[in-house]
Order: sequence, then structure tokens, then C-alpha cells
Amino acid sequence: MSGTQSKLVRSFWIALALLFAADMVLIFRYTPDERSMGSIQKIFYLHLPVAINTFLACLIAFVASIAYLWQRKGWWDDLAAAAARVAVQLCAVVLATGMVWGRAAWGVWWTWSPRLTFSLVLFLLYVVYLVVRSSVEGRERRAIIGSVYAIIAFLDVPLVWLSARLLPDIHPGSVQLEPAMKLTLAASFVPVTLLAAGLVFSRFVLNRTASAAPNSVPANHPKNVPNPPFLAGAKAIRLTDGAL
Amino acid sequence: MPLVAQQFLLLVGKDLKIEARSRQTIGLVIVLGLLIVVVLGLGLGGGAAVGFGATVVLWVAYLFSGVLCFEKTMAVERSESALAALMLTPISRGTLYLAKLTSNLALMAAVALVITPAGVLFFSFDLSAAPFTFAAVMALGIVGFAAIGTLFAAVVSSTRLQGGLLAMMIFPVALPLVIASTQLLIHQFRDGLPVGGMGLGVLIAFDAIFLTASWLMFELVLEP
Repeated sequence: MSGTQSKLVRSFWIALALLFAADMVLIFRYTPDERSMGSIQKIFYLHLPVAINTFLACLIAFVASIAYLWQRKGWWDDLAAAAARVAVQLCAVVLATGMVWGRAAWGVWWTWSPRLTFSLVLFLLYVVYLVVRSSVEGRERRAIIGSVYAIIAFLDVPLVWLSARLLPDIHPGSVQLEPAMKLTLAASFVPVTLLAAGLVFSRFVLNRTASAAPNSVPANHPKNVPNPPFLAGAKAIRLTDGAL
Repeated sequence: MPLVAQQFLLLVGKDLKIEARSRQTIGLVIVLGLLIVVVLGLGLGGGAAVGFGATVVLWVAYLFSGVLCFEKTMAVERSESALAALMLTPISRGTLYLAKLTSNLALMAAVALVITPAGVLFFSFDLSAAPFTFAAVMALGIVGFAAIGTLFAAVVSSTRLQGGLLAMMIFPVALPLVIASTQLLIHQFRDGLPVGGMGLGVLIAFDAIFLTASWLMFELVLEP
């Protein structure tokens, strides 16, 4: 990456941190507390944008997987893998915020309500995608199997959603928001969407770099993991090709 | 008879003949299914899941037995490079998929015919109100399960991590089948509501979507 590109990337992350700070001010200072749930409802301003972005990341993985099978260009597969990884990370946030909210609202950390069940199954589907990818040897084979699984997983998403709706629901059916709440919710989409896009892009660049390397191995392979700082100079015990 | 139908019947006949002669899969899978029903029956103490709770227990037994069944039927093709030889023949990959799916379905039907009465008996599940509804819902579920199971068995047979990977791939994808069929049967047998609506739609849509998608993508994952 050139110096200008590095500066651009650094500026992006600094701007994003400032946007998040501004969003926090909006959530905690500008927006009033919800009447029945109180301040815990403020988690909603993070929960919903992250949930929508999780779905968008899954959609990117699906489209990129179809494009890979169509064109057989490696960068489509790198994009699909990056988007799926970010989908897992975002879905973990959705689950965590949903559980915290559920604990405050209903007194339990977990309930098999349709939306929580849907988030959990979505999380599992894409965790399995990442595990399957790491189990396959050979770049092309890994890309084909990963693409097939990503397509199947995404086709399953509406079916999971519909079947989960058969379960008893204790979520509120519809939420009435005051104008200030609507504004904060809309504003929260900006930093969360930019964060998701930034994470997908960063992971995509990492994947491309790993793919471009000769005899490339997965980014999380022990060969790619540097020594910890306290072993920085200890070349003799660093994991090398021979050690592996 | 069209050539494709002849090829299909030949492949299914080959799989069933191998199974009839060796009896490698069916005995193993039935015993595993029965053990799961017994262990869950003992674990739940007979009180927590009586009646329609049997449907959940049966699904657990179907899922694990099915995974073993799909793995074994694909492993047959791996021995002595049988799959490589099969891929050299002028048979389309789609026909290969449909034949393997049919063999798996035949085995799963045999397994279900033994496990289901055991589950119904152990959990005092009174099927008399709607026995055909029960059979139809379970059959729809098993068809969808076998559709993705056959595809993923071909995927897993070509990876280095075989043990457990197939179950991990199939279970999250098959969850809509489990949720929809158990909810449909609970509504039917507990509340007396007729089977239909969204639950039935999910089962039919699952079967249609994954039969088509798996048939189309089988060619991509098949590797000798």
C-alpha cells in the first residue's frame, strides 16, 4: 500500500471514530428515554443498524459467490470470504445486544423468540462457512466449495426467517418512535454502515494480499502469524516451513 | 425408456445392490437411530417430552442417522476410485445427483420405518388423530434433508476434515425443516389445528429450492 493510500485509510478510521463519538452524543444526550423500557432502549440505535448491515454483508457474500462461480476470478472469492467474516462479527454484536436488551426487557438472557432464533441460526450458518473454507486445501477448490456453501446459506436465510416466525414471539410487533428517536436511528446507520464497509474492505485487501503471495496459505495459518513482541528477535524458534 | 431414465435406474440399482449385499450402512444407521431415541427417552425421564415431544426426538434421530447414511453412501464411491470411473462415463452429473439422492432417500425411508414406531411407542405419542398428516410432514422434511445432505456429502468427501464436518454443514441449513415440521405437528396434535399455512409452505419451498440448487451445483463439488 502506498503512502497516500495509507493516509487515506488512516483518515477513514479517524473520521469513523469521530462519527461514532457524535452518534453516542446523539443517543445519550439528544434522544429522550423510551417510556416503558427507559435507557436500555438506547441499545436499539446500535442493534438495528448492525442487524441490517449483517444482512447486507451476507448479501455481498452471496452475490460475490455467484460471481465467482460465473467468472472464476479469485477476487470475487476473496470478497465473499471478507463479507462472510464481517457478517459473523456483526451478527455476534446483534446477538450480544439482543441478549442484553432481552435481559433488561424480559428478565432472561435468552428466549427462543423468532428474531433471536433467526440471528443465532444466521450466525451459525456463516461460522460454518468460515470453518468449511479453512478445511479445504487448494485455493480453487476452497473457492468453489466456499461459494457453493455461501449460496446455500443465503438461500436458507428467508426460510429460517419464515420458520422462526412459527415460534411464539414476545418481541414488540411495531415500535412507535418520536421524531428525535427516528433522527438518531437514521444517523446511527451512517457510522455502522461505514464501519461494516471498512471492515469488509480491510479484510478483502488482506485476502488479496494473501492470495497474491507465492504458495499462498490462509491468512490465519500459523505461518502467517508473526511472533509475539517478546519473541520478536528470536528467529531460531520462529515457526518456519521446516517446523510445519 | 429414455437413456437418462435407464442411467438413473442403473445407478440407483447399483447403490441398493451394494447395500443389500454388504449391509454396511442400514444396520449401523438403524441401531444409531434407536440408541438416540432410547438415550433421549431416558435422559428426558419420560416426563418432559411425552406425546408430540416425540417429533423433536425423532428429528434428532433422523438428523444423526441421516448424516451417517449420507457419509457412508458417498464413502462407497470413494473406495477403489469408483467415483473417478463413474465420472468417466457419459452420465450427466445431475443424473448422478438424483440417483444418489434416491438411494439416500430409500435408506432414510427404511431407517424411518424402524425408528418412528420406536419413538412413537417410547413417548406414548398417539398418532391416531392424523397418521397420514404425520407421515406426509415427516416425508417432506426428510426429502429436503436428503437433498442438502447428498450435496454436502459430496463436498465433505473431498476435504481433509471429514469427521463431524458433514453434520456441522447440514444442521444449521436443515433447521427450518426441523422448526417448521415440529411446529406443524405440535399445532396438529396439541391444538387440533389442520396442517397448512406458512409451516407447510416452508417445507415445500425448502424441498423445491434445495432440490433445484443441489441438482445444479452437484457438478461443481464433485471431485474424484
